[in-house]
Parts: sequence; C-alpha cells; structure tokens
Amino acid sequence: MLLHLLNRSVASSHVYRDALRAMDDDDYLLLIEDGVYGAVAPLNEHFSSIAGRLYALREDLASRGLEGRCAEQVIVVDMEGFVQLTEETERSVSWF
Amino acid sequence: MNNADSSTAMLVVLRHAPHGSSWLREGLDVALVGAAFGQSVSLLFLGDGVQALIKGQQKGALGQKGTHPTLDMLAMYDIDTLLVDADSLAQRGLAEDDLQLPVTLIASSQLLRVFSRHAPVFNF
Amino acid sequence: MTVKTERVATARCLRVEGREIALDPEGYLVDLSDWTPAVAEAMAGEEGRVLTPEHWEVIDVLRDFYARFEMAPAMRALVKAVGQALGPEKGRSLHLMKLFPESPAKVGARLAGLPKPTNCL
Repeated sequence: MLLHLLNRSVASSHVYRDALRAMDDDDYLLLIEDGVYGAVAPLNEHFSSIAGRLYALREDLASRGLEGRCAEQVIVVDMEGFVQLTEETERSVSWF
Repeated sequence: MNNADSSTAMLVVLRHAPHGSSWLREGLDVALVGAAFGQSVSLLFLGDGVQALIKGQQKGALGQKGTHPTLDMLAMYDIDTLLVDADSLAQRGLAEDDLQLPVTLIASSQLLRVFSRHAPVFNF
Repeated sequence: MTVKTERVATARCLRVEGREIALDPEGYLVDLSDWTPAVAEAMAGEEGRVLTPEHWEVIDVLRDFYARFEMAPAMRALVKAVGQALGPEKGRSLHLMKLFPESPAKVGARLAGLPKPTNCL
C-alpha cells in the first residue's frame, strides 16, 4: 500500500496519468503544491477512477484560494493528516 | 538477470528525457551508487524517460555529455533489469527496435505491480 | 544535487619531459588530455610505486572503459571490466587490491589519467 504524491497541475502536466497507472487498488493519492489545482471541478474528473482515495493538502489549497472551491469527492487533509497518511502506508512515491 | 528476487531490489524510475534537464542523469547516478554498494537495481523507463533509450544519441550542441554512454555502462554494474512502459513507447511512435539496449516491455496493466513489488522506489 | 562543473582548481604541477602537468588537490589531472604513459610513471614514482606490466594492463582497461562510457568505474565495474578484458583470474578484487593497495578504483583512475570515480566512496 503506497501513498502517491502529485505536485503538478493536471492542466499543465500529464504526469498524473502515469501516477494513476502506477497506483494499486488500495493506494492513496495526495495532491500537494500545484497538484491541488486538480482538486477543483472540472479538473477533478481526471481522478474519477480513484474516488475515495483522493486527498488534497489544506495548506496548499488555502494559499491558492481554493479551499472553498475544492470538489466534494476530494478528502481534504492538513499537515497532520498528511503525516497520518504516511504512517498508514508502507512508503510514498513522488510524482513531479 | 536480477529478476529472481525483485522484492529486495531497488527501483529507479526514470521519467525525464535526456539533455533537457538533469533529472535523468541524477536518477542514473542513484542507480549506479546503489549498484556500487552491492544493491540489486531495476530501472523503469516511463513517460519521456523512454527517450533516454533511443538509438543514435550524441553530445549536446555545446559538447555536453549525453547519458547514452552511461546507459551502455549499466551492464558493467550488473544493472540489466531495464523495464520499459509499453504505452509510453507507443505514444511516442517508438518500438523496441528503436532502442539502444535490450529491454523488458511492461504492459500498462502490469505497471502497478512493478511499483508494489520493489522497495525502495526512487522516482526521477 | 547541483550541476557538476568540469573545471577543477590546480593545486600543483608535476614536471614530466619538460612539460608542466597540472594536478588537482587530490592528484588527478586537471586536463585529461595531458596524459601520457610518462605522466603515469611520474605520478606513480612520486608515490613510490613501480608500474609493472600487470599494472599497465589494468591502466589500459581503465582508459578503454573511460573511452567507451565517459566515466571512471567504481570498484564493482572495474572488477567486471578487468575480468572481461584479462580473464577471470585477474577480474577479482584481491588481484586489484594487490596492485593498487589503498583503493584500486581511485588510484587506478588517477594513474590512468581519468577523473575521480564519482559513484564510489
């Protein structure tokens, strides 16, 4: 069970496609930095295949003015939640 | 081949093309350091990383070293598990014949197994 | 990691056959094209080493390795390259340790006029 971290926007980088293909059925994906742009509709539709396992970091949403615009299906976590995710998973893989 | 027990092998994922950035070289450096210390190493070429394997590469316009001689050198470090994402290759109009080294193609459906069966994973 | 620069500072010079050969602080050549067998002899002589035919065949393997791969080999690769070129009897770390006692990969690279191997301690 892995935690995948994505820090690029789906609007400008295709790396999210490789991340999705590398994900097992119980892996999580956490959007951080510019990755959080993908947490807002309609861009979040790119992550429909991993519903329930898509997270976004609150601090990065807030700094970009996106906190209130985040799609419902996205689970928002703060730094503490981020740490918790890393504890739940065996290791993390960064996509950038 | 080092395939026998890949659960103890480290995986280095190469996702960047040669010349444009230093990501590819840095990933190869990590693989070589691992091998120099006796680790078993697998490489996965994914996305633009598959461009690293194209035949006929040369030095940069200003004489900068390429990464193609380093790829030829991998065998000297017993790094011979070269995995290539078949989709990435096809999307770029490439086939196995276009590559400078023998590789193992990975079908899209098998990609996640590559990640789950290696520890640790270094993504470049 | 930062981008590696290929320029190295000259720490001192070695006089060989009337030429001044610049060495970096660790004794590697500043300009790799300065290398000749006489330079290798002079570097070895300074350290009290005598280069026998067995040393020279390893130096040749090192220079060939660099010509092919543009990098100096770490120990693992050096052992393999020597084994391929000179046979399994010589492709062993014991043999190389006897020839270049402190560190075959580093001392060998220095005498062969290669840069310092980057991927070994």
